[in-house]
Amino acid sequence: MAKPLLELRDLNVAFNTERGQIRPVRDVSYSIYPGQTLAVVGESGCGKSVTALSILRLIPSPPGKVLSGEVQFEGRDLLDLSEREMRGVRGRDIAMIFQEPMTSLNPVYTIGDQIAEAVMLHQKVKQKQAYEIAEQAMRDVGISDPGRRLFEYPHQMSGGMRQRVMIAMALSCKPKLLIADEPTTALDVTIQAQILELLRKIQRDTGMAMLLITHDLGVVAENADVVAVMYASRVVEYAPVEELFDAPLHPYTQGLLKSVPRLGAHSERLVSIPGTVPNPARFPGGCKFHPRCPRTREAAAVAGAETVEVVTAEERFRVLETCAVKEPLLREVSKGHWAACHLAEGFESSPTTRPDLANKRAVVARAVGSMIT
Amino acid sequence: MQRSQEAQVKLLVDVRLDGANQLSQFPSSPTLPAPATPPPLNAGPPLLQVRNLRTWFPIKRGVFQRTVGQIKAVDGVSFDVQAGRTLGLVGESGCGKTTVGRTILRLIPATTGSVTFKGDDFFAHRGEDLRHLRRQMQIIFQDPVSSLNPRMTVGNIVGEPLTVHNIAWGSDRVDRVAALLQRVGLDPSYASRYPHEFSGGQRQRIGIARALALSPDFIVCDEPVSALDVSIQSQILNLLDDLQRERKIAFLFIAHNLAVVEHFSDEVAVMYLGRIVEKASRTELYANPKHPYTVALLSAVPEPDPRPKKTRIVLSGEVPSPSKPPTGCPFHPRCPLTREAAKQANAADTVEITTAGERVRVLRKCVEEVPPLEQKQGEPGHVAACWVTR
Repeated sequence: MAKPLLELRDLNVAFNTERGQIRPVRDVSYSIYPGQTLAVVGESGCGKSVTALSILRLIPSPPGKVLSGEVQFEGRDLLDLSEREMRGVRGRDIAMIFQEPMTSLNPVYTIGDQIAEAVMLHQKVKQKQAYEIAEQAMRDVGISDPGRRLFEYPHQMSGGMRQRVMIAMALSCKPKLLIADEPTTALDVTIQAQILELLRKIQRDTGMAMLLITHDLGVVAENADVVAVMYASRVVEYAPVEELFDAPLHPYTQGLLKSVPRLGAHSERLVSIPGTVPNPARFPGGCKFHPRCPRTREAAAVAGAETVEVVTAEERFRVLETCAVKEPLLREVSKGHWAACHLAEGFESSPTTRPDLANKRAVVARAVGSMIT
Repeated sequence: MQRSQEAQVKLLVDVRLDGANQLSQFPSSPTLPAPATPPPLNAGPPLLQVRNLRTWFPIKRGVFQRTVGQIKAVDGVSFDVQAGRTLGLVGESGCGKTTVGRTILRLIPATTGSVTFKGDDFFAHRGEDLRHLRRQMQIIFQDPVSSLNPRMTVGNIVGEPLTVHNIAWGSDRVDRVAALLQRVGLDPSYASRYPHEFSGGQRQRIGIARALALSPDFIVCDEPVSALDVSIQSQILNLLDDLQRERKIAFLFIAHNLAVVEHFSDEVAVMYLGRIVEKASRTELYANPKHPYTVALLSAVPEPDPRPKKTRIVLSGEVPSPSKPPTGCPFHPRCPLTREAAKQANAADTVEITTAGERVRVLRKCVEEVPPLEQKQGEPGHVAACWVTR
């Protein structure tokens, strides 16, 4: 059995704000194996980005603080490293790319300066050689005419090109893990297709592992090996990608999958999840999804159930008392499939293990074809 | 030579005089110019007719702000919107879709072209007339944060149009605002709160209530769900759907998400670099796309399914700048179809171009001439602008 490259164990992160402490990451565990892509999917404020930032210890502190947990990377807990040791990990072993490439690049330095800086920092090479590595990295990510582009500034490039530069910079030191935080959200679909294809190719060639953070289920379906669904700062479901899309167990995942309009599947009405995405400063009690959950409402309608009334901005209804009072923790409900829902079949008798899957997807990503006349 | 020139000038003058005569003879005549495109799929006069709309922005340089060029954000767009129906306008960023919506509402002045609303030339109106017409045309914006004034209460935001247009005051206005908030799924007691107290989805509902306040017949929805979380998008789409059914509102639905547009539209137009490159009914466009750009765009959408059925066409290069659009067909530098076609064509009919760092052979015609938007094989009204596709 291979060992995971990165393993998060019960990570808890808190932010102290004027209105008290908020908890954007609660008991989050996941693992990534070499060459694997783990997708973390969730809506705004669910804690998916904060978790990733805390892996690299990039949480501003104060106000942020890791309360407890471990970040095991190649046998070391990154949380125990000194700041100096950590700088050796960032960029070299673990690289990160962000959603908005414009704000992540320095506008007053040329592209070449910025890539070469990263190279010189991590590899003991001279400036001239660093520029050669930078040029090769740019060629690898499909930037045409890299010799000239090295001397351009970020504003001279389009969004797609800047994202390629970010990827080139991230890959210039051949990291073992790439954290991609919404890498294509700011890009158009045709450019998104190019960038995702590029990331898949790099993974095939180098065996790099990837933590892909996104809200787009289409991007998840095409790129992930294993998926972690986050809701209200917890992982609520964890499964191999095929399993998650075929047989989702958590009502939130089910709702998300049904509410996305799909190409070629025109329906008169979309299924929607009622209510709003919870604000981390005002999480509800019990299961954080209960004010929006259709399953608990149905269960509450059955005679004899112990229920409580919920009043939201839009409506009032009854839910199961368990759901409103007790927060379910992630359990392995079926073999290799974790979920956190009181009402998932066999939930109460399932073991509360940490999710860990070494799966690779059996199906390949979409074939790239040519246009037939 | 000189004679013919003179004759031409004379001809022009004659025509102009003729035109002037006609106008003075029928001062209030509502006659319209002949439509430049084939008639729409549905019979009956359209609610909104847009003809040859152009919106150009001058590029100014130097101390004297000399105009050195034009950004042709919208360059000759024509379409109809039927009463109570939805036209989806789809394209990538910078294709001009938002500018089309804003130009139609005269939030941006048009360079040339006409917009006819209920048989009336909308661009010809001024002052009170214009205000009256504007009551019937509203807009919903993409960003629910910046489109609501943070210093106004929700009640004032939704009720302001009623006051501006002198429709309701005092307790009547309060009642109407309460009814509107209720209709969009918000508690009427929220009227006294401020926008920052609401989530993105709720703010978008407030924006919709404001657009509904004047009971418009036509609403431009400019990316109404793209700033919202996935689980909230479907709520807003369903709400817009219900409102359309209830109130027979026509929508111009502008979005970059093809699946959302498919869900919402009756007819779909695809834009590329300021032009419509393909237009057809929803079912036809998605089942039988003709323009290579539409085909590539459709294939690029990631499917929420780990076992994808379709193959993907990855386009090379990026959308060119609208300040320097390519000659001929604006899509030719990225077009996979013209490259395929060039392999089979006579060498004389092809040219070599450099695009995104590679040298490729394409059809000469695609580089030299702009393809017209013309009927293609398939459903009547399925038009596309491409020299290669049939």
